[in-house]
Amino acid sequence: MKNKIIMFWVIVAIVIASIITICKIPTKLGLDLVGGSRIILEAQTTKSITKITPDTMNRLQTAIEKRVNKLGVSETTVAQVGDKRLLIEIPGVMDSKKAEQILGKTAQLEFKQPVLDKNGVQQRDPKTHQPLWESAGLTGEDLKDANIGTNQAGQWTVSLDFNGKGAQTFGELTEKLVGKPMAIYFDGEEISAPVINEPIYGGKAEISGGGDSGFTPEEAKNMVDLLKAGALPVPSKIIQENTVGPTLGAVSIEKSKTASFIGIGLVMLFMLLIYRLPGLIADIALAIYGIILFALFKAFGVVLTLAGIAGFVLSIGMAVDANILIFERTKEELRAGRNLFTAINSGFDRAWSSIIDSNMTTMITCVILYFLGSTVVKGFALTLFIGIIVSLFTAITVTRNFMHLIFGTGELKYPELFGLKKEEIGTASVFEETKREKARFGILD
Amino acid sequence: MFNFNKNGIHVVKYRVLWMCLSAVLLLPGIIAMIYSMITYPTHTPLKVGIDYTGGSILQYETKQNVDNKAVGKIQTQLSDAGITSAYIQVLKNTSKTEKDNMSIISVRTKFIDEGSEQATKIEKTIQKDYKDAKLVQFNSVGPTLSSDLFKMSFIALLLAILAMIAYISFRFEFKYGISAILGLIHDVVFVTGVFSILGLLFNVEVDGLFLTAILTVIGYSVNDTIVTFDRIRENLRYNGKKYSYGEIVDASVQQTITRSINSSMTTFLALAALYFFGGSSTKDFVLAMMLGVVIGTYSSIFFCSMLVDFWTEKSHEQKRPAIAE
Repeated sequence: MKNKIIMFWVIVAIVIASIITICKIPTKLGLDLVGGSRIILEAQTTKSITKITPDTMNRLQTAIEKRVNKLGVSETTVAQVGDKRLLIEIPGVMDSKKAEQILGKTAQLEFKQPVLDKNGVQQRDPKTHQPLWESAGLTGEDLKDANIGTNQAGQWTVSLDFNGKGAQTFGELTEKLVGKPMAIYFDGEEISAPVINEPIYGGKAEISGGGDSGFTPEEAKNMVDLLKAGALPVPSKIIQENTVGPTLGAVSIEKSKTASFIGIGLVMLFMLLIYRLPGLIADIALAIYGIILFALFKAFGVVLTLAGIAGFVLSIGMAVDANILIFERTKEELRAGRNLFTAINSGFDRAWSSIIDSNMTTMITCVILYFLGSTVVKGFALTLFIGIIVSLFTAITVTRNFMHLIFGTGELKYPELFGLKKEEIGTASVFEETKREKARFGILD
Repeated sequence: MFNFNKNGIHVVKYRVLWMCLSAVLLLPGIIAMIYSMITYPTHTPLKVGIDYTGGSILQYETKQNVDNKAVGKIQTQLSDAGITSAYIQVLKNTSKTEKDNMSIISVRTKFIDEGSEQATKIEKTIQKDYKDAKLVQFNSVGPTLSSDLFKMSFIALLLAILAMIAYISFRFEFKYGISAILGLIHDVVFVTGVFSILGLLFNVEVDGLFLTAILTVIGYSVNDTIVTFDRIRENLRYNGKKYSYGEIVDASVQQTITRSINSSMTTFLALAALYFFGGSSTKDFVLAMMLGVVIGTYSSIFFCSMLVDFWTEKSHEQKRPAIAE
């Protein structure tokens, strides 16, 4: 009995600790609940890069992370999934087009020199009569910084600051090209092709949009952001996108809350009606289950999604399964005329193998889902798995403890408390246990 | 405990009836699946969503009332704007937080690539008639990802069944194992069949979550069966000498039926709350699990146990009691 009282206080302590955890740590809500964009990018191979290595992926991740941070949204995630994909989560943003523009661009800044013939005149494509350009060996990699500015004509410009090597190359290049044009390409598109009037030393340059209008302020800012974040090592393509508006998310939270409470309420009512006093104990255990589970989610930083909530609610229905197995068994033992203590004990022990079986199969499924499933499915599998572990503790340890504390070792005076009729007691026959089994079940007769 | 002669159900007596009932339950679904495989361009037994085929779904919310006639109009407007083969649905979104009832216009198209003008075109077209329409949800799945999911689903399903076979053969002897696996297939075919019918009749599409539901059903269905079998074994050990196998099965079913029904009931109640009050995007997922819970309980009592009984009778013909003295 002393052990039972210690156990009782241990349970109380766990519940208090859980409640404190719930109050202290904020809930992490998934994008389908707060609204936002979930994008999967796939790295594409090119003619020059035919294989995506882990190193390429790391560089791609860093570059994308920088770009995502530039969006100025908190709690964004960039993570590698598989060997050539990145998962990007941007909460709260509904305008996915801007995100797409920023993420999809390779942001390769390139300086190109004209292809010259023998006479020093720029060659043109024989078909399209467009001027021909070749790489000048200077790219966005050679930049130290980029900033937005304006020129004398009042146009928006992007001022470039080259690093040591870049400054040298740029100096040599402009020296060579005095009186000739130099083209500036961004993501494969020609931005402008100014004619070099004099060599530019010192590593500073300015790009204007070309033409009469020049850059719009947005264009200039976007370009600066991309240049600062750095170019992507390989082009990447969006292969999946889910965007949920914040209002829809809010509705989903509201609905999920209602559904969870109604679900718990229905299960509790059912247990109370069918199993009476033990049912009430199971209900208390279920409430404790809910509290511990929620605290664990918060402590481990489990992100709550719609599928995760479904897993949670499902696990509520399944959590009482162990109690049902135990109570049905206890009722049988009582019908067979056993005293309370024995009935409760053998109820627990006899139901044990069934409880393990029922939970093992679901746990196996969860493991498979967790390792093979998409992010959404992972959320469901994880919540269900943690739920099963916690339910084993609450449905067995907690319930058993409470049952013993309340009923003690006495005779069953009021069979109605178990939902049994007086005349049912002693009607059923009993299996003949061996001595060993008697010891195991704590049978007193 | 063996007072089944007085009251209670005698499932074994009507075992042929239960087998026929199972056939009746499964047959329409099987027919629907075969029909779907022949007629659908994807040649799948179910109507599959963009998760599996690739494509984009854009959902616009509007306070205006959108009736079904409007669907045709939007379709024409879209194809005039150059968006062909778009599939349009109108969903009602009622909620407590918003006073007005919102309608959601859902447009399903081919995969919208980044940088393409398609999304803007669709938005402009919708806003012609519904000025307040605004994009609330956008899902897009590229063709590479969807074919990956197909492979993954197949592997997951195979692994789950293999894992169950492994677990059951570790816990039980062959005859029980086979019966439990047949029960599992029985349940999966039933749930898939119902969704195949729903696909044909109401255009219900399955997504990646459907597979999750099926796998959960597999885990759930096997556990019910194991509990019943466990009882059969226990009774066989204590009373095998006194009673025939059929009587043992009957008694075991009687002893476990309350538990089976009650525990399914609690799971079902929790799921029902989710179905009627929960978020709309998990509705079909929850429905699949609800069906699975019900059929799983049915099959463990009326299908798996009967199979074991049939099997034993074949091998122990005329032999009474169940364990020879």
